[in-house]
Amino acid sequence: MHPLNSKLFRDLRSIKGQVIAVALVMACGLAVLIMARSLVRSLEVTRGEYYRENRFAEVFADLERAPNALRARLAELPGVSALDTRVRGALILDLPGIREPADGVIYSVPDDRPQQLNLLRLRQGRLPALGANTEVVVGEAFAAAHGFGPGHEIEATIYGARERLRIVGVALSPEFVYEARPGDALPDHRRFGVFWMNERRLASALGLDGAFNNVVIDVAPGADAREVMARLDELLEPYGGQIAFDRGEQASARQLSDEITILRDSSVAFVAIFLGIAAFMTSAALTRLIRLQREQIAQLKAFGYGSLAVGAHYFKFALVIVALGSLLGTALGLSMGRAVTVVYRRFFLFPELDFHPDWTGVLVGCLIATAFCLLGVSGAVWQAVKLHPAEAMRPEPPAHFRRSPIERLGLHRLASPTMRMALRNLERKPWQSFFTVLGLALATAIPIVPGAMRDGIAYLMDFQWSQAQRQDATVSFIEPGSASAWSAVDNLPGVLAAEIFRGVPTRLQHGHLERRVTVMGLPRNARLNRLLDARGRAVGMPADGLLLSAKLAEVLRLRPGDPIRVEVQEGNRPVLDTVLAGTITDFSGVGAYMDIDALRRLMREGGTISGAHLMLDHARHDDFLAAVKKSPRIGALLLTASARESFAETTAEVMGTVQAIYLAFAVVVAFGVVYNGARIALSERTRDLATLRVVGFHPRDVAAVLVGELVVLTAIAIPFGLYLGGRLARLVIELSSTETVRLPLVLDARSYATAVLVVLVSSALSFAVVSRRLHNLNMLSVLNARD
Amino acid sequence: MSKDAFPSSPAPDTRPAHRERLFHARGISKIYSGEVEVRALDGVDLELFRGELVVLLGASGSGKSTLLNILGGLDVPTEGTLHYRDEDLTHADAGALTDFRREVVGFIFQFYNLIPSLTARENVALITELAEAPMEPDEALRLVDLADRMDHFPSQMSGGQQQRVAIARAIAKRPEVLLCDEPTGALDINTGITVLEAIEQVNRDLGTLVIIITHNASIADMADRVIHLRDGRITEIHENAVRLPVRSLSW
Repeated sequence: MHPLNSKLFRDLRSIKGQVIAVALVMACGLAVLIMARSLVRSLEVTRGEYYRENRFAEVFADLERAPNALRARLAELPGVSALDTRVRGALILDLPGIREPADGVIYSVPDDRPQQLNLLRLRQGRLPALGANTEVVVGEAFAAAHGFGPGHEIEATIYGARERLRIVGVALSPEFVYEARPGDALPDHRRFGVFWMNERRLASALGLDGAFNNVVIDVAPGADAREVMARLDELLEPYGGQIAFDRGEQASARQLSDEITILRDSSVAFVAIFLGIAAFMTSAALTRLIRLQREQIAQLKAFGYGSLAVGAHYFKFALVIVALGSLLGTALGLSMGRAVTVVYRRFFLFPELDFHPDWTGVLVGCLIATAFCLLGVSGAVWQAVKLHPAEAMRPEPPAHFRRSPIERLGLHRLASPTMRMALRNLERKPWQSFFTVLGLALATAIPIVPGAMRDGIAYLMDFQWSQAQRQDATVSFIEPGSASAWSAVDNLPGVLAAEIFRGVPTRLQHGHLERRVTVMGLPRNARLNRLLDARGRAVGMPADGLLLSAKLAEVLRLRPGDPIRVEVQEGNRPVLDTVLAGTITDFSGVGAYMDIDALRRLMREGGTISGAHLMLDHARHDDFLAAVKKSPRIGALLLTASARESFAETTAEVMGTVQAIYLAFAVVVAFGVVYNGARIALSERTRDLATLRVVGFHPRDVAAVLVGELVVLTAIAIPFGLYLGGRLARLVIELSSTETVRLPLVLDARSYATAVLVVLVSSALSFAVVSRRLHNLNMLSVLNARD
Repeated sequence: MSKDAFPSSPAPDTRPAHRERLFHARGISKIYSGEVEVRALDGVDLELFRGELVVLLGASGSGKSTLLNILGGLDVPTEGTLHYRDEDLTHADAGALTDFRREVVGFIFQFYNLIPSLTARENVALITELAEAPMEPDEALRLVDLADRMDHFPSQMSGGQQQRVAIARAIAKRPEVLLCDEPTGALDINTGITVLEAIEQVNRDLGTLVIIITHNASIADMADRVIHLRDGRITEIHENAVRLPVRSLSW
């Protein structure tokens, strides 16, 4: 090995603690990048293969009823390369051993032709046999949640008729990668499932003999999906067709692409911050090393090593650190990615979700880290390069100090000499102090993010299920009903109060922006299901105009008072030009609301209702559930307590992991920054500290001088870090906020206190490690050496 | 050098019979065991008295720094016994040695070892804060003729001025022992003379035991006793009949 390289490795060994600290901080940044990029790749590759192999449709449309003969005409539409017509309905399940009913959707599989699109991937058993009436295939997640498999039988109510269904297969569908009840933010595989049944049998059960109510289409390569959708809308209109939509609005596909977007966006900020801090740490360590090695550099130059060779030698320090950081970061990123993939498997139902490392991402990440690091140390290396041999042979001129501005104000009388040492040292190295503060501030900021998420979730749950939705249960009818439907609900056992609603599928338009949304007609003075503003105050339902979720108003770029067009997709398809009366706050899904009477006038109907929110007598809860299971009209039941519990369970699982990762990162940064800073301070002031030891300061007094600096830096860093943490939490929450789910930003004292504690404890530990060196300080060799 | 009177203290009686013994070393050795065993100090017997000015002379490696370090409580002997008054320093732990240095010893080094981030006054104050009945920092600095440099940082002073700050720092706590390790080693002769004058004045006016180590034999003439060291042993102890004033020294 070249002697210079031997020197490199021995020098690195002498600062190995710092090398490891820097490499770890760098590794955190790289790990986030590599994890996120690899997860994006894993999801995209898996999604691409699955969608292709199982022929996931590109255009979807629901309608009331169209004869099967229409299928041929649909298939001839220009731009349609494949098409399936299906029957789709809701079912309520009465499961043994579970008091409350589960519900689900059921789709037809053709029994007279091969399935064209959204092909089922059978995991167990088989498809329903030709002509078999009660055979169903069940979605894998639901089956797994209940331990169902081929051979099991379940009781269900389909369109009012009680059926005994025999499970013959367990399957996955590209249509239900994310299998959540429509409108729910998170999946609840115990209470919601997807089923498939023979087409003729299902059509007959739903009163749709010889007809279909759902179309899925694959668009020919090169054709414009929007044109296909427009033609489809035209063709289906006479059959009660609702506006066709593409994958962008298909619930499962959308959830998946939202997740990919979040992964892609949210990693960038973290990576830049971590790599920036790591670059600074390397720079500080190398600057100190080069200062210590002035004479060695001079000798190298005197012996004839050129500036290039000297520069390259010191750049190699950075490269070794980058190499170590890259190695650690890659290993950490890949293993974190693998761990998250396991979590994803519970949420995203693919036949196989394998982890696909994004090696391009790894390479790009390592290159970025290298660039950050080389840029960071270039100043220090330049110092070595430009050092004149003759000058370098002399000891470095004594350090210049002056009174700090604070002292010039006369406040110095308040500070002890040791504190003054600390203040002046900091002032003399403003950049080093600045970056140390930044690093500590970042370490303070990081734990605030999971704290804010946890509090956001708690707030969301309280807001959603204690403040806004105060009903115990919500029932929806299979199809809208009138007075008799109302009495059916009101007469259910245990119902103390009921609040009706009417939901109408619509297209909302503002300029060129549009969204398919169900407009909910609600009574004026709702007491159970309330609409609230951001502060949790009830928003009164206006007699005219619409109330929208703030998120939906944002998506449609609407402000209160702006005109909005409501195109109803049901009945006579009336069109209403109205205004946005106001916005409401909600956190899951988006909604549009109007006065139920106004909606009924628009629909030219009397007392039609789609369902009701109910307050229940808890003593008669079981009777109520039993009655719902048997009720022929009820298509879905949502129990507030169950929804809340399921949400809490699911988020708790994920939050545990998220919190652990954030905490580990904060500790690494705090520990690393403090360790690096304290080691440099120790090295720079060895002589001062040795002097103090000689003249009679105990090690703890000497440590106090170093602590003084740290205390000053930490005192500046913490408030800054708390502010930064708030901004970071806002950024992360905003980046991960989608139309499906979004968290409120809740920053409370506990998050801040945790953050401060994390930083103080890691700093103290890190400092304790460094200060052990003070005990081993060789006072004599230091004092008798020249600077 | 300021001729202001030092705080009055009774002139010490340096007659042998009445001398107050401060250090009492019996057969002390210092052995550094590594790959090669080094006997830096080899069976030294020595008594040092209050008010004395002692010069330790010897070449590099003669053991003079090792002896000074042991006397100053920076190190302990491997063999033999060392007492300061009645206190046994031979077996003192690190904490006790720190207290000993804090209460008893003032140090002056060749390279000053001032804290660069503190002004002259603050460098002195750093020490007076530890002491029980110290001088005011300003007073100590006046004694070394630095009244007009009190608010200067080390980088703003010459080598001689820095060394005088170091002396002020060492004497401000009124130590009983002042240990000077090559105090003029980094200075030119004129500056060296002013520094030695300050040290001599401390010895004379405060009755401080002063031990100077040097390889500069010319300095020996200002001492009461000159101790010659070679290979870790005392080869000769010479008593000067008359101490020469520092002004008359030259090298």
